[in-house]
Amino acid sequence: MPKVIKIIALGVLVILLVALPRLINPYALQIVISTITYSMLGLGFAFTLKVGLPRFDIAAWWGVGAYTTALLMQKANMSFWLTLPIGGIISVLLGWLVFSIAIPRGMMVFLMFGMVLALAMQQLFGSVEFFGGWGGTDTLPQPTIGSFTFTHKPELYYMGLAFLILNLLVYYALYNSKIGRAWNSIGSSIKLASSLGVDVVKYRMANVLIGNFFLAIAGSYFVAYSLVAVPDTFGLANSVIVMMYVIVGGIAYNLSGPIVGALIITFVPQYLRLTKEYEPIITSVVTILLIVLLPMGILGILDRRTKPWFARMKWFKKNKDSEPKVPA
Amino acid sequence: MTGGLFVQLLINGLMAGGIYALVSSGFTLILGVIKVFNFAQGQFYMLGAFITYGVVSILGLPYLLAILVALIAMVILGVIVHFAIIQWTLPSSFFHTMLVTVALGTIITQSALLSFGFKEQVIPAVVQGHATIGDITFSWGKLIVIAGAIVIMVTLYYFMKTKTGTAMLASSENREVASLQGINASRIFWVTMAVGCGLCGAAGALIAPVLSASSTMGTTIFNRSMLVVLVGGTGSMSGALVAAFLVGIVESFAYQYVGQLNLLVIFGFVAVLIFFRPGGLLGKPLPIPGQ
Repeated sequence: MPKVIKIIALGVLVILLVALPRLINPYALQIVISTITYSMLGLGFAFTLKVGLPRFDIAAWWGVGAYTTALLMQKANMSFWLTLPIGGIISVLLGWLVFSIAIPRGMMVFLMFGMVLALAMQQLFGSVEFFGGWGGTDTLPQPTIGSFTFTHKPELYYMGLAFLILNLLVYYALYNSKIGRAWNSIGSSIKLASSLGVDVVKYRMANVLIGNFFLAIAGSYFVAYSLVAVPDTFGLANSVIVMMYVIVGGIAYNLSGPIVGALIITFVPQYLRLTKEYEPIITSVVTILLIVLLPMGILGILDRRTKPWFARMKWFKKNKDSEPKVPA
Repeated sequence: MTGGLFVQLLINGLMAGGIYALVSSGFTLILGVIKVFNFAQGQFYMLGAFITYGVVSILGLPYLLAILVALIAMVILGVIVHFAIIQWTLPSSFFHTMLVTVALGTIITQSALLSFGFKEQVIPAVVQGHATIGDITFSWGKLIVIAGAIVIMVTLYYFMKTKTGTAMLASSENREVASLQGINASRIFWVTMAVGCGLCGAAGALIAPVLSASSTMGTTIFNRSMLVVLVGGTGSMSGALVAAFLVGIVESFAYQYVGQLNLLVIFGFVAVLIFFRPGGLLGKPLPIPGQ
């Protein structure tokens, strides 16, 4: 695509994003705000998937950020902005403690460890009285800058957009750096990477911990608009759904995939006006269809390298006995 | 602690352990042979329990028949799931297949919730009442679960020694070499799904009289199975067996003292164990890609 068209497209996107609160109704804007949070979670999942580690503890660290901000703002009257780095640091330190055991043991152990961690953290959030128990924390004050309070949806939207863009920029910079190349090599082939001298455990740990930091930020943002932290949100179910965003969006697209996936999964059920009871079933059926027919995700349609599904199935029949692509 | 309480807790632990062993073995089998992380494993267990409820409480047929029906139904369902869905996502990637099982699990759980709500469906105990030795009381129902689980595990052990079973283990270790030996991987896959899901159905049928059938029992058992497989080593079936009983007993006793926090206790226990024995309890587990 010629560079001029790319620049124009980017310009249009920027204008759309800035003008969004004027263009859509408040209800839709609220959904966009939620989508921003889920996108950040999805980015976190894709980030760690890059080094071959599927993480199912996303909601747990999201919760760490959320609870840190909630509790510090309430009990210590701290400014919202100060709680952000604190939540991030706690998330990193705790993560370092816990993952020192899991990461050296490989992908499968890490995967299950993440799931167990998600369960354990949720249990922790709910059982400790200081955190407010299963009912959650008390309502917290809204974030302020000087005398300006973030009350209305457009303000919260811009705040979220800022966080999301920050997240994207940092991840983009990392992906294109030396550390990103090391991660790429680990994701492609652990054996080859380590034979070339890449310290797999160290780089994986760095990846996971950076991810932890931004997940906590997402958590802090989450309570900035929901104003309360409830243990139910931060469990295994929400952690697993994040994987859905990434794969539906496109597993090969580390930055845009999760955002597209989050948008689709959050908005489509709204517009289909599904009843609350049937919504999970329909979403799941659609997800299965998407995965079977479009394994490269929605963004994969745009990729000219994607074969139409019927051609793929013929190819599949030829290679029926081949090993599935499991990351090494 | 009185002797009576100790025995009660032990029996609870063994009962839980037996069930975990069945479900975890099925999960490990599917993971090792087909390389599929079956998130819907718990749902087959739940369906087994509900089928038992249907057969015993609604149709009024004998319990033993219910176990058989649940087993066969889950075997068939597992095979259907394999041919309808899993077969198509296997070439995509490990994660695609995993997500498909997540979606499948959601469909089954949500359907159960819609049909039955959160209410537990009670099935009358197979053998009512308790036995008493001295001042220690044994609940017959629980003992039957333990016995049933042992019977099934023994059957599974001998099945693994048959030609098909050995083929499954071989495929799990090294699929390419196994196919060089003439093992038809595709046939092995659906057999594995059949066995893995059948085990869960049987487990659900066994536990149904004791725990009743509820829509959320699938997720609960799956969460516990994760712990078991972590401890036992991913891919090691004998490891899963030992780990299952260990986790069951630890959970039982921990619940007595810390109630809901027993999950954290088990988690700590698991963390310590992985730290010292990374390969799981029984040493060298069957190789799983991604290490």
